[in-house]
Amino acid sequence: MSVDVIVCVKTNPDLQMIRIKDRQPVLEAIPYKVGDLEKNALEAAMQLRDAAGGGTVTALTVAEGDRKVKETIKEALAMGADEAAIVSDPALVGADPAAVAQALAAAVKKIGTYDLLLFGEGSTDNYTGQVGARVAELLGLPQIGYARKISVTTDGVQCERSMDDMIETLAAPLPAVVTVVSEINEPRIPSLMNIMKAGKKPLQEWTPADLGLDAAALAPQRQIVSNLAEEQDRKHILFEGTAAEQADAFVNALLNEGVLGR
Amino acid sequence: MEKVDCIVVGGGLAGLSAAYGLASAGLEVMVLERGDYAGAKNVTGGRLYVSPIRELYPELWAEAPFERAVAREWITMMGDGAHTTFEVAADRFAGETPQSYTVLRARLDQWLAEKAGEKGAMVVPKMKVDELLRREGRVIGIRAGDDEIGADVTVIAEGVLGLLASGAGLRAEPAERDHAVGFKEVIELPPATIEDRWHLNPGEGAAHLFMGAVTKGMLGGGFLYTNKESISLGLVVGMAALKQDPDQGKCFSLLDEFKEMPQIRPLVAGGTVAEYSAHAIAEGGIAQVPRLYGDGYVLAGDTAGLSLNALVTVRGMDFAIASGYHAAQAVLAAKKAGDCSAAGLAGYEQSLRQSFVLKDLETARHIPRIIENPRLFTHYPQAVSRLLESVFTIGPQPSRRLVKTLWRGVRKDFLNVATLKDAWQMRKL
Amino acid sequence: MEIDAKLGLDVFKLDKEPHIVVKNEICSTVCVNRACLYVCPADLYELDDQHRIVVNWEGCLECGTCLICCDARALEWTYPRGEFGVQYRMS
Ligand SMILES: Cc1cc2nc3c(=O)[nH]c(=O)nc-3n(C[C@H](O)[C@H](O)[C@H](O)COP(=O)(O)OP(=O)(O)OC[C@H]3O[C@@H](n4cnc5c(N)ncnc54)[C@H](O)[C@@H]3O)c2cc1C
Ligand code: SF4
Ligand code: SF4
Repeated sequence: MSVDVIVCVKTNPDLQMIRIKDRQPVLEAIPYKVGDLEKNALEAAMQLRDAAGGGTVTALTVAEGDRKVKETIKEALAMGADEAAIVSDPALVGADPAAVAQALAAAVKKIGTYDLLLFGEGSTDNYTGQVGARVAELLGLPQIGYARKISVTTDGVQCERSMDDMIETLAAPLPAVVTVVSEINEPRIPSLMNIMKAGKKPLQEWTPADLGLDAAALAPQRQIVSNLAEEQDRKHILFEGTAAEQADAFVNALLNEGVLGR
Repeated sequence: MEKVDCIVVGGGLAGLSAAYGLASAGLEVMVLERGDYAGAKNVTGGRLYVSPIRELYPELWAEAPFERAVAREWITMMGDGAHTTFEVAADRFAGETPQSYTVLRARLDQWLAEKAGEKGAMVVPKMKVDELLRREGRVIGIRAGDDEIGADVTVIAEGVLGLLASGAGLRAEPAERDHAVGFKEVIELPPATIEDRWHLNPGEGAAHLFMGAVTKGMLGGGFLYTNKESISLGLVVGMAALKQDPDQGKCFSLLDEFKEMPQIRPLVAGGTVAEYSAHAIAEGGIAQVPRLYGDGYVLAGDTAGLSLNALVTVRGMDFAIASGYHAAQAVLAAKKAGDCSAAGLAGYEQSLRQSFVLKDLETARHIPRIIENPRLFTHYPQAVSRLLESVFTIGPQPSRRLVKTLWRGVRKDFLNVATLKDAWQMRKL
Repeated sequence: MEIDAKLGLDVFKLDKEPHIVVKNEICSTVCVNRACLYVCPADLYELDDQHRIVVNWEGCLECGTCLICCDARALEWTYPRGEFGVQYRMS
């Protein structure tokens, strides 16, 4: 048997690298990388392919703006994906989940053959958690969310997921959409040899027009008005008196605030 | 085994400069860098002297992401209770072709990596080289994880510790006598504040060095470089001196004490610390430069000990870039001649000898041993400040004539057996 | 400023395995000055309650000072693997 898996990956800013300056994230010169959960999805796809003894793993991404996608998607190829495809357009800058899902669904149709579509449960930056489900809806496919185990047989896909107080096992016919959680596996780190090979693997580049989409219709319907780090007001209370009095007053204040003695 | 023309170990300035030169000539080059991006592991004080290297890659510098062209040099000598500051401005420092710029490495190195990439070099970040592969004494490539890649020539530019090179016996292990540790904070300040505090025109920069009480008499000093929107403030302390003296307290706290000194506090006031970093510095001078090439390899930059601490000037980045350039030229010649053995690569050392790199290091041959003299970091900064203090002091007693005051100070602090011995030593400077 | 607060400004990507290992047999028998306790610019070395040297390698700036200053060769010191360790954004 062989399985063909398309893994939808998002290029995220490396969140650990972001500094906050004047309450705003500094995004200038920030490195981009394949999102953490998408790495889990890629790893799962490669394990399924290898367990089945054949098949193709395709990494598919929608480029939301100037995110050096070509370099980032090579990370997916270096991890072990066989092929990659990019949909990009200036109109996709700041695209919302609905538009991203439309572009992905159109690209998936263009790729044509696949058994499974894998997603991370959400993206590490915005974490809307919508894209997988939306693509399933657009393509009319069954969808299983939050998988922590996946197996594929000729009958279909079986997934296990944790629902806090119980473990659920779900099955669906192929093709299907599955989103994965981070417990599912430990993504591999690309080896040098695979990085060298990655440059030679097939890479498709499409615009929305190539997919029969109207780029203007994909433009974001919502805008980020402000994005500020949380700021806490300090109370600026000065306690006076002897050390013992200050300590008493301080403890009382903490009690009153409900910080102590809960 | 997969093979490329040339592997460069280390995407610092030396490695990237070599890769740029090699790729420009059409060679297949792969740079392996362990950081998330070139520069992610690298620390410098902050000033690159461009004038010695401008002609090597003339097309590059106009668009380099420098911070500020250094227009003013400041030196502060710190004694107990008195300090003296010199401010030097000269037209030729900045002007149309500035001689030096302040830099931040994360920006500079990433930019040079991009430039090398545009020329066709393959720069692989997040990849640590674990071993140099050797066969019959010849370096034949590298191992990274489980993968081995061969190369006609390996350019070893792994920085100051030189772990791979010393592991393979190509140079000595780093010794404390020849090394210092530098540690610094990048402190954000508004550009206008920076320009006010160091008397700069908009966009111009300053380099400010500190000697004396900052290192409590240990070999070293303080540095402050003005970037666009921040300053780099740090200390350099000789490892041998640092280790000898556990009573000086913990190394890191010297920087906090430095920042609290009354001369420094107003300079950093209102700033926000944005990063803290540390790195070793090679200070052994030409005496610790190892054999620079051999069968299948060349050493470049800090790995080859090419750096110089002359107290008021610290240089390493210009040497790194120049050695990378000359390494590339030597490798190209060797490849052309079809001889990548030591004999084929010998041009590397020859061209370094003809260039400022080994010439300047040779001129400075005696500096490393001279600056081991602790009086440079205790007595002299103190004495200079004391002398000037006496000149400017008006006390209750009738004043002496200026010449007398000066003469007394000079006789007391500068004309005695110890200082005359120092003067004899320093004639070698 | 506390050294921990300074290190808190830096980006560290943590591997599961340490990149510095202290051979305490050597520290307790050969070493005279315990230089690691005061030369580290990140102040990462300390004594535990059994007087053994421990290094909090997670905050390592990878400067190599401890390695160079430990004459007794009690440190197994390598750079962290690719993808890990300190990542400077300015310096
Ligand atoms: C505090 C301080 C202040 C200084 N001030 C100045 C100054 O003002 N002016 C000046 O000119 N010089 C200064 N220097 C010196 C200067 O910074 C160095 O000489 C210069 O950075 C050397 O460049 P390099 O390319 O040889 O080494 P590095 O810049 O150290 O580059 C080595 C590269 O190799 C990589 N690497 C190492 N091992 C491996 C491996 N196994 N696998 C893969 N990659 C590896 C590293 O990540 C790094 O990117 C200062 C240095 C310090 C520490
Ligand atoms: S300096 Fe070296 S031998 Fe001494 S205590 Fe530290 S690690 Fe151990
Ligand atoms: S390498 Fe530097 S920062 Fe890391 S433990 Fe050693 S001395 Fe400390």
